[in-house]
Formats: sequence, C-alpha cells, structure tokens
Amino acid sequence: MSLRATPFHARVAAANRGNDWLTRNGVTLARAYDDAHEEALAARFRCVLVDISWRWRVMLEGPHVMEFLGRLLTRDVSQLAPGQALKALWLADGGGMRGAGAIARYGKESFLLVSTAPDFDWIARAASRFDVGMREISEGGLALIGPHAGAILQAAGIDFTLEPLSLRKTFWRGLDVTLSRFGEQGGYEIWRDADDGLVVWDRLMRTGAPFGLQPAGITATDILDLEAGIARPIRDYAPARDGNAKTPTPKSLGLEILIDASHETFNGRAACLAAQETKTLVGLEIDCETPAPFTPLLHNGQIAGHTLTSLYSPALRRAIALAQIEISASQPGTQLVLTLSPCAETPAFRNITARVTDLPFVSAPISQP
Amino acid sequence: MSDCDALVIGGGVSGLTAAAYLARAGLRVIVAEARNKLGGACESMSFGEGFHAPLTQTLYALDPRVVKDLKLNLKFAVRDMALTGLRADGKHIVLSRDGAARSIAVHSQADAKAWKRFRRELFSLARDMRALWWDEGTFSVSRERLEPFRRLSAAAWLDGWFESDALKATLAFDATENGLSPFEPGSALALLWRASQEMCGLQGAVAALAGGPPSLVQALLEAAKVDIRTGANVSRILLANGAVAGVELASGETIAASIVISSASRRRTLNELLPTGAIGFARADSMDRANPKTGTAKVALALSALPMFAGVPSTARFILAERLESYAAAYSAARAGRLPDELIMEAVTPTAADSSLAPIGQHLLIASVRPVPLAMNDEMKAQLTAKVIAAFARHVPGMHVVASEVLTPAEISSRYGAQDLKMNVAQMLANWDERLRTPISSLMLCGESAISGRAGRIAAAMAIRDKT
Repeated sequence: MSLRATPFHARVAAANRGNDWLTRNGVTLARAYDDAHEEALAARFRCVLVDISWRWRVMLEGPHVMEFLGRLLTRDVSQLAPGQALKALWLADGGGMRGAGAIARYGKESFLLVSTAPDFDWIARAASRFDVGMREISEGGLALIGPHAGAILQAAGIDFTLEPLSLRKTFWRGLDVTLSRFGEQGGYEIWRDADDGLVVWDRLMRTGAPFGLQPAGITATDILDLEAGIARPIRDYAPARDGNAKTPTPKSLGLEILIDASHETFNGRAACLAAQETKTLVGLEIDCETPAPFTPLLHNGQIAGHTLTSLYSPALRRAIALAQIEISASQPGTQLVLTLSPCAETPAFRNITARVTDLPFVSAPISQP
Repeated sequence: MSDCDALVIGGGVSGLTAAAYLARAGLRVIVAEARNKLGGACESMSFGEGFHAPLTQTLYALDPRVVKDLKLNLKFAVRDMALTGLRADGKHIVLSRDGAARSIAVHSQADAKAWKRFRRELFSLARDMRALWWDEGTFSVSRERLEPFRRLSAAAWLDGWFESDALKATLAFDATENGLSPFEPGSALALLWRASQEMCGLQGAVAALAGGPPSLVQALLEAAKVDIRTGANVSRILLANGAVAGVELASGETIAASIVISSASRRRTLNELLPTGAIGFARADSMDRANPKTGTAKVALALSALPMFAGVPSTARFILAERLESYAAAYSAARAGRLPDELIMEAVTPTAADSSLAPIGQHLLIASVRPVPLAMNDEMKAQLTAKVIAAFARHVPGMHVVASEVLTPAEISSRYGAQDLKMNVAQMLANWDERLRTPISSLMLCGESAISGRAGRIAAAMAIRDKT
C-alpha cells in the first residue's frame, strides 16, 4: 500500500527537514518544515507556500443546482455571478452545524464547494433528490499567504488582479490553472491537475526565492487560522453528523453571521432560528506561553465555558485560544481563570489568568488559506 | 385560479370524512380526487359476468363518532365475523365470541384454558391503547403498560401464551397489517390496535357492510356537501413563507387554499408532493427507508356455489396459515421478489350474507394474500390464482371457479390510488399531533390508521382549531 500523498509530496518531503508529518482528511501533510513559529511569522512579513490539497472540494452541477443549493446552504447563492463566491453553512434538520465552506459559481449550472471537512454522504444524498451531480475534485492546491503574494504571482507571470471571494481560470505559461481567493484576507490559491503539481511548486518556489518565499506546514496555518479567529470543524468542534442533531449551533461558534434569516428555504432553518444558545465564541489571551486547549474556564469561581484550540501566537508572543463561553461572561476584557496541567517546567497544577478579547486577534494584512 | 378555505387530497373514506367535518365548521372545501371515481380502497372491482368484488372486504376500525356525527346510515351484512383458522387437517379453529375455547381444545387443552385469560389481558391492554387512538387529549393515559410492546413481536407475545401452532398462526394474521411481519419488533402493538377498535358496539369485531364498502362512500358523500373534483390529480403542494398555500394539479391548474389535508401516504405527501427538501433532508431519508417491500394481493374467485367448510360459519373470515414459521418463510420469499411456497391469506365469502355482489345463485370468495412482492409478472399472477384455488379446493370438493381476478399490490395502488401505507410501529404509541401534523403548518395528513375516518375527523378538528 502506498502513501496517500498530495501531488506535491516529492517536494514537500525534500523540504521537510524535521520529517514531521500529520494527516488531515486522510492525506499526509507536513506538520512543520522546520520551525512552525518562524513559518507563521514569515506569512506575516514575507510570504509562505502552503500545500492545501487536503481541502475537500466538490463540483455540483445540473439544471436544478440552484434549487438544491437554496435548500442546502444558509445563504442565497442565486445572485452570484460566475467566478464569485460566498461563505455559507449547511445544517442538519435539527439546526446543528454539519459544515461550513465557500461556494463558488463555476458556470451557469455548476458550483464548486470548498470545505475543510468532508460531508460527502449528506450532500450527495440530498443532491440526488434534485438530480444534481456531485463529484469530488482531486487537484493539487497551493496557497500563497503573505504581503508579497501578489508580487510573486506577478513575477511568475500570472495576472493576479482578483477580488477576494472569487475565482478565475487562467492560462499560465502552458498550464491551465484556477486562481482563487477564498482565504479570509489577502492570499491566493492556485489549483492545477495533480500530474503537473511539481511544475507549479517549482515555478513558484523559484520565482518566490528573491521574496523570501518558504514552505509552511499545518501548524503554521493553524496558528494563522487561530489568529484570524476562525473555528474549524474537527479541530475546534465536532460537526453534527446525525441528521436531526441540534448541536453545535452556529451561534456557539461565532458563525451566526453566515446565516441569512431572510433566506427562506434552507435546511434546518426553523430549528436554527428558534434555538436558544447561551454560549458564544470569543478570543482568549492567556497570560503565559503555554497553550491550554480544551480547558475549563472559571468566571468568579464558576465554570463559564471552555477553550477550543489553543496555540502559542508568535505574533502576540503569548498563548491564545478560541473559547466557548456564557454570553454573560463574553464581554471583551472579562477576566477568567484556567488551570494548566503539570509539565516538565512546572510539575504542579497552576492557575493562570486569561482575558476575553475581540476576534480576530490579529487583523494584519495576511491571509489564511 | 379557484379559491377555497380547505383542500382535501383524495376522495376516499379519510378524505371525505375530513371534508365533511371541515364543511360542518363552515369552511369552503374542495376535494381533489385523482381518479374519475371516489372511494379509493373502498371501491369494487368488477369482473366475470356481474361480479363486484370489494377491494376491502372487512371493516374493523370505523370510528363510531364519525358515524354518529355525520349521521351515516349504514347497513351491516355481518356484525361480527369470527376469526377462523382453516387447517389442512380439517381441524378448523373458530374463534367466535363464545365458542372459541371448545374449538381450541381440539388442538390443545392448555390453550383452551389460557384463552379466557388471554382475551381479558388483550382487551385490558387494548383499553389503554384505545385512549391513544380514539380521541385526542380526552384521556390522560399512562403508556407504561404498553411501552414494553414497542420491542415485542406478535410472534413472541403469542408464544408466551399458547403452545398450539394452529392457534398462534391464526391469531398472528391480524399483526400483518400493511407490510408488518409478526416477527418484527413492535408487531404485538398491531394486535392490540386491532383489539382496541370496535364495530357495531363490539370490541375487536370485524364487520361487513351491506353492498360492500362502496355504500360507506355513498353515505359519506351524502353527509359531505362539498365541492368534489374528480380527475383532479394533485401533482404539487404549493408553499408560501413556509406555510401551505394551495396545490397544483397535473393539468397545471392551481387551487389556492390555506388548509390542505392529504389522505395520501405520509411518504407521498411529504417526499413527492411537497417541494424537494422542504421537510428536511434527514426526515426525507428516513421516510424513504420506511418504504414497504411487500404488500397485499387480492384474488377474487367467482364460484358457482357457496363454499362450505366443516363446522365453520360462512360469514367467518378464514385465515390460511399453517404454522407461525410460515410467516417468516413467506416474508423472506416476498422480500426477495418471489411468491411464497405457502401462501398466507385471509379470505371471506361476502355473498354468504349479501347477495347483491354476485348474480343470483353464484358466489364470491375474496382472498387477501400477504405478504407478496409489490409487483408481479403475469406468470406469477397466474401462479398466485392457481395456488389460492388449490388451497380452497382441498376443503371444498368439486369447487367450480367461474371466473377469477387478481390484483397485485402495485396494481391496487396504481388503479385505485390506495397508498403504500406501512404500519408504523413508532407511531402506534404516538399522539395524534405526531401522527397527523407535518413540519409544514396547515398541512395535515389523514390517511393514517386504516379505513376508520378517525384520522380525517381529527385532522379536520386540528386544522379548524389552528385557524381560530
């Protein structure tokens, strides 16, 4: 049995100095090429190249695709022009969140859905009710993140004028590639058939060398994600998998902005709008350098919530976390207490203070893929 | 664009009952029936020369309140048809209201002794069930006694009471309602449900109407002075703002209505008539999975003489099922698309008490054979008829079949619009809200619970209460 690798694996393996790997969506990926914190900082000041082939991408097409997406997604896609995209959620009947992603109009009757976590059975089953065809796309994808991203593309000969949340097919020195900007801020993604993956990688790395372009691993992009204040499925929460699930609610993950209450037809609408949620998503600055993932949070001696992903932020030079917390304790500046487990440095439990902050943590012009 | 206050889909007993109650409340009602004739499962099939075989031969759940409220003038040909097991060895079991024990004793003394206790227990449980099925909210019932039956199969429950296979196989037939197998968990509830019904004031009785079920449809038509449109095939239910707004017919005509009551099956109403996905993807999926794989075929035989069975009254209903295990074998065969080796059936001779259904001197024997595959080819149909004839000919020497007619489950639903309702065990202990309401406001179902009219009455009452 061979490794389930991305089209860039040969180059990734050569660059992975620590031989540090993980899998996401069943694909082998570099956790970090060298120093994850350095890679995260490079995305802020120069530019990094990230293998994002593990993203789940499906093409939905058919005469009734618009009707189908009107039922599936929490926002109306009927006004999208070809090439435009928006972010939306899809919910279970009970209003629980099954997934989040970007939906882009590809053609008249075709849409591309991109998400970090797959939900094949649910969407395929629903699509079949509308005679909408669904196929997974396995292209190689690379993201360029950082202030120099545009300049590198220009130097490489790609027309990089592209609005955020849009995509364009373009011809790049003999290769048909798809250029998209689905990341939260800035940043570009380039998609190309798996066979030509290495050509794309080599071209970008060569052109990017004078700009200080370096590859970045999953830990670095997780840091950027966290700094941008985005809760991700699987990493931060277990997406609803039962068809009638009521949890997690979009509100508890700070995603209620992706629900358009005036959009009348989406699945789970009534339950979602009626749901009473007492918790919300906030950012947490922890007063130490040790991250505290999935740890209870005390407010005035009472448990008021818990952290989700927590990582050291090299940009803020302290540990930060996403947290689900009672709305009453979610005001920015609210002081909370958490307990860190013993570690080699401090072999005892210790109480650390943390403060609620607005999201995103960092609004610098970086992008996350 | 025509307008009405309430539209009822389907002109069968349930639909007409709902329409009658809505009209009584002063609403303008339209009944849309896809076919050119009313009645659905209550129609008769004509065959041979002058034979009219009712599709539904027996009536066991007609709501007495509907009869009273709508002042239905019904004449019964038989008031209490005895459940009778026809045995290959001739030791027939006649479970009549008083003589049952004597008949059982031929097979087992112990069972004859247990019979009285069994009936008391059955009727006592049925009383609890009755509170859940008769009216909404009139009783506060404890479901505690019934809860264990959710997981109990009819076969297992009967096994606990009796030793004689002949008796158990006969009793188990009433648990085979609509695609349910007596070995399925919860099928014991079907037995209780049957026992909780009453006809002509007798609990658990099975009756036959003079003139057959079409006379019930006729009586309902006289009671329901509403606008009835035949040939109006509803192809879609229209929504506006998440509530029902009317229907669209196959002809393209739309009828605006603020209440829609559908006597089509839950699955057809929610998955086929509503816009795709309107009820939620998970619910639509679970409904698709609940689709029955087997059904009931009807075989009508026109006979030159009334078939008589030794020691059995002709107005009985005859069950042919040799052993409890016969059901298991029959279900596995039917699910695999084959005709079972040993057919399980209920047969009646309606002409024994009602001579209007056949030419003078001639008689009808109608068998409801289940389980059988939903669709059958001509060869299987011929085989089915031959097997039914053979099953009775062994008891009736010299039986002469003048003509015969067979309808497969698929033909019954396509020709008469009778629906693929599967007895939903989960709903047996539910309340009426769960049974009749849909996720769409002002869209109600009334096709549940066999030919009783009760669902129609309660659906109409709920719709009227919602509006005021």
